This record gives sequence, C-alpha cells and structure tokens, in this order.
Amino acid sequence: MKRRIPLAIVFIFGVLGAIPFLIPHRIIQNADNEFRSSILRIIVAFSLVLGVGSIIRHHFQKIRRKKENWQYSYITLIALVISAIIGLFGGIDARGMLPTQFTVPFTEYVFRFDIQTLYTNIMVPLAATMFSLLAFFMTSAAYRAFRARNVEATILLLSAFVVMLAAVPLVSSFFPKLSAFSEWILTVPNTAAKRGLLFGIALGSMATSLKIILGIERGWLGGTS
Amino acid sequence: MKFFEALMKIDRRILYLVLAAVVIIPFIFPFMIHPKAMPPVENLYNYIDSIPQDKALVISVDYTPDTEPELHPMTIALLRHAFTRRIKVGVLCIGVLGLGLAENALNQVAGEFNQRATSKADSIIYGRDYVFWGWQTPVLTVILGMGERISRVFTVDYYNNQTETLPMMKQIKNYNNVGILVSVSASASPGWYITYGQTSFGVKVGIASTAVQAADWYPYLNSGQATGMLSGMKGGAEYEELVQTNLGITDRRRATEAMASQTSAHFAIIVFILIGNIGYFVLRRRKK
Repeated sequence: MKRRIPLAIVFIFGVLGAIPFLIPHRIIQNADNEFRSSILRIIVAFSLVLGVGSIIRHHFQKIRRKKENWQYSYITLIALVISAIIGLFGGIDARGMLPTQFTVPFTEYVFRFDIQTLYTNIMVPLAATMFSLLAFFMTSAAYRAFRARNVEATILLLSAFVVMLAAVPLVSSFFPKLSAFSEWILTVPNTAAKRGLLFGIALGSMATSLKIILGIERGWLGGTS
Repeated sequence: MKFFEALMKIDRRILYLVLAAVVIIPFIFPFMIHPKAMPPVENLYNYIDSIPQDKALVISVDYTPDTEPELHPMTIALLRHAFTRRIKVGVLCIGVLGLGLAENALNQVAGEFNQRATSKADSIIYGRDYVFWGWQTPVLTVILGMGERISRVFTVDYYNNQTETLPMMKQIKNYNNVGILVSVSASASPGWYITYGQTSFGVKVGIASTAVQAADWYPYLNSGQATGMLSGMKGGAEYEELVQTNLGITDRRRATEAMASQTSAHFAIIVFILIGNIGYFVLRRRKK
C-alpha cells in the first residue's frame, strides 16, 4: 500500500499532465488551467514549508553534532530568521508595520534596513563577487590546460580563439570577416551539435518520464524496487 | 630551457594579479569602445521598435545578482528603449532572487525619464506605462497562465496593488496583447518560454543571455523561434549603442563602459593561452 498509492498518484497526474498538450478541447484545457492555477500552487506552497523546515533541521543537527564548519550554520540560521522577520513585517521598501527606516538623530540621514536595502547591499555584492572569481580560475585553467595536443584539441582551440577575438569590439571592427566567421561557427557547427544534443536529451527525458509514469522506474520511491 | 620550464610552472597568483590589473586599469583610465550591432541584436532592436502602442513589451528578469554585471545593463537598455517609444512594459520574475534587480532597474530608468519630464504626459507613471507583476511560482503555471489571463496569474503586483485595477492592465490581458517577451536570463528560462508560451500561444520571444549560455540559444535563433538575442556584455553594449544612436538617450551605459575591461581581459587570456602553448611545444620538442 505504501508503494501503490504513490505509484497511482504519479500515474494519474503524469497522464493528466500530458493530455492537455495532446487534446486542445476546451473542457480539457479549462480543467488543466484550474489544476495549474489552484492545485499546483497549493502543492508548491507546501514544498516551501518543507524546504524551510529541512534547512532549519539540517543546520540545527550540524550545530548539535559539531560537524565540519558548524559555526557557519549559525550565520545561515540567524540570516534566515532576520530576513524573514524584516520581509514579513517590514515589507518592501519599508512599507510594512515594522519600522525598517529611521532618520539618524541630529542629521538628515535616513538609515534603512528593509529587504530591498539588504538585498542591494549584501546579496548583490556577495553573489557578484563569488561569480567574478570564476574569471580567475578560468584564466589559470586556460593557461595550464588549453593545449593543442591533437587535431581535435587544435580545432577547439582555434574556434575558441576566433569566437573570443570576435567578442572584442576593437577586433571585430577592424576585421569584420572575423566576426562573420565567429557567427558562422556559432550558427552552423555549434547549432548542429546542439540540435543533436537537444534531440537526445528530449528523447531520453521522454523515455525516463514514461518509465516513471508507468511504474517501471521506481528509484524515486527510495532506491529499492 | 629553464625559461620555458619556469614559464610552465608560473605561480597561479601571478596570473590572477595580471588579470586583476587588466580588468581594473581600464576602469581607472577608461577608453570608450563603440561596438557595431550584430544581426541578432539588430533584429531584437528592430522588432521592439516596431511594437504597436496597444501592445506591451514583457521583460522576464530571470537572472540573479551573480550575473548582474552582465545582464542588468540589458534590462536597463530594453527599458530605456520601450519608455522612449512609449511602449507599455510589464516585468515579471521567474526566480525570486530577480525581484530586487528588476525593481532597481525599473526605479532607475523611470527616475531618469521623470527627471527630464516636463509634464505628466511626458512622465513614466507606474500602472499607466509600466507594471511590475513580481514573482509567481511554479514556472509552468506562470508561463501557460499568462496566455489566458495575466491578472489571474498575478492577482496582486509586487507592491500589493490589485493587478486588475491598474490602468495598463485593462489593455494588456494576455499574450495576445504582448508584442514580444524578452527573457533576460542566466538560466534555461528562454527555452521554457519558447517551449510552452510560444508553442501554445504563439508569443514572440527574445533572448538576452550571458555570453557563456549564448551558444545554447543559437538553434532557436536559427529556427526563428527566438526573434533576436543579446549575448553577454557585448550584446548589451551593442543594444546600448543602438539606443543611443537611434533614440538619443545619453544616460550612463554600463555595458559599454565595461567593454574596455572585457576587451583587455580577453586579450590577456589569449596571450596566456599562446604563451602556454609555446612553452608546451618547446618543451615537448626538446624532450623528443
């Protein structure tokens, strides 16, 4: 029973999910619309509760068992609670019931700590910094590993050179044919390879989905068949 | 021999230092580069330029702060274009982390226009000229639901106004009233808009993506499913150039400013690859 019910749910909703794309009749479309607009949103709302619950439990356990880097879990939990309080009661742009902005006494300076201010001043620079580090790792990797060891690697290297040079406006304005060649690389060989990949991925996804809907693939139930 | 051996074992911190220098120096001593727009950028610009006034430009802000330097200038350039042409704009986010960026972009561009405005008719007014619908989930509900009724997907906007009550929304009801939807994205979202929004409702889709992802979208561009594409910082700079040249908008152009740094970084990486390969071949020949 513990397995049959989830399998039946997956079968019913898997089939119901596919039908609206195959049958354009109004009744089917309306039912699908209702399902997407109401039921699916409620299910997603539950997943949010599960997600928050899971992250809190994970970090509490990490702190209790003093796992590696457990100290950082405090930062995650504190940040979660503070941003939730400010977001729920402070609203966006200090329009909520919580006073998330005040004028510093004897000055005209307005200090704000609403969600938008936290986002712009903490989230944006932190995330941008993390991502920009990629440029340094890529440069180091390109210097050490990007070698013309054989014919395939040489073709790859030359293509990368052309595309990279064409991405520099100075070069592309002096050598317009290089830009055209770069565009050709992206439009023809790249597209041909990508299309092949896309077809492969789509067929693979369809096969896997069918196996799950029909109950042939049951790994998602917990790893045992 | 020793020189090449040393070259091959160069400390990675020296590479980091050189790259940091070539990125930072052009910001201190800037040189302006005016890129020429490539066909995918021109196609998107021309299409947006031809949107009739009863239809809207929808911008889906599908990027997060990590790709903000690359994609945010595109959102700003698209907004400047639409507001200059008095095209109505609807903005939504597929991911919750895009909300702050979308709001920043809207506030900045609306502020720029309102500073220059001399009358209410000239101004860019929330609800009349643009609406920020905010974020909804799940993705499929949003993309398919907007084909039927946008105000049903976003019953309230980002600022908690009833969407249905906003003047612009009396005109913009679903994809039939959308000239083009541009997904400014660092994720797979342009593909979702094409797969679901375009296949089911025929909405035109434009793509603005990071340079690293641009190769993924060429099949859609070739097939005509994507009307046009801005790829990476260069795509943003090309769009800014078109907006400035054709519409006379002279506000700050962040993508164009960053092109100098990107140009020198590209040259540095090319030189590194060349040096690495020269060292590799010299050592290999001597070993033989």
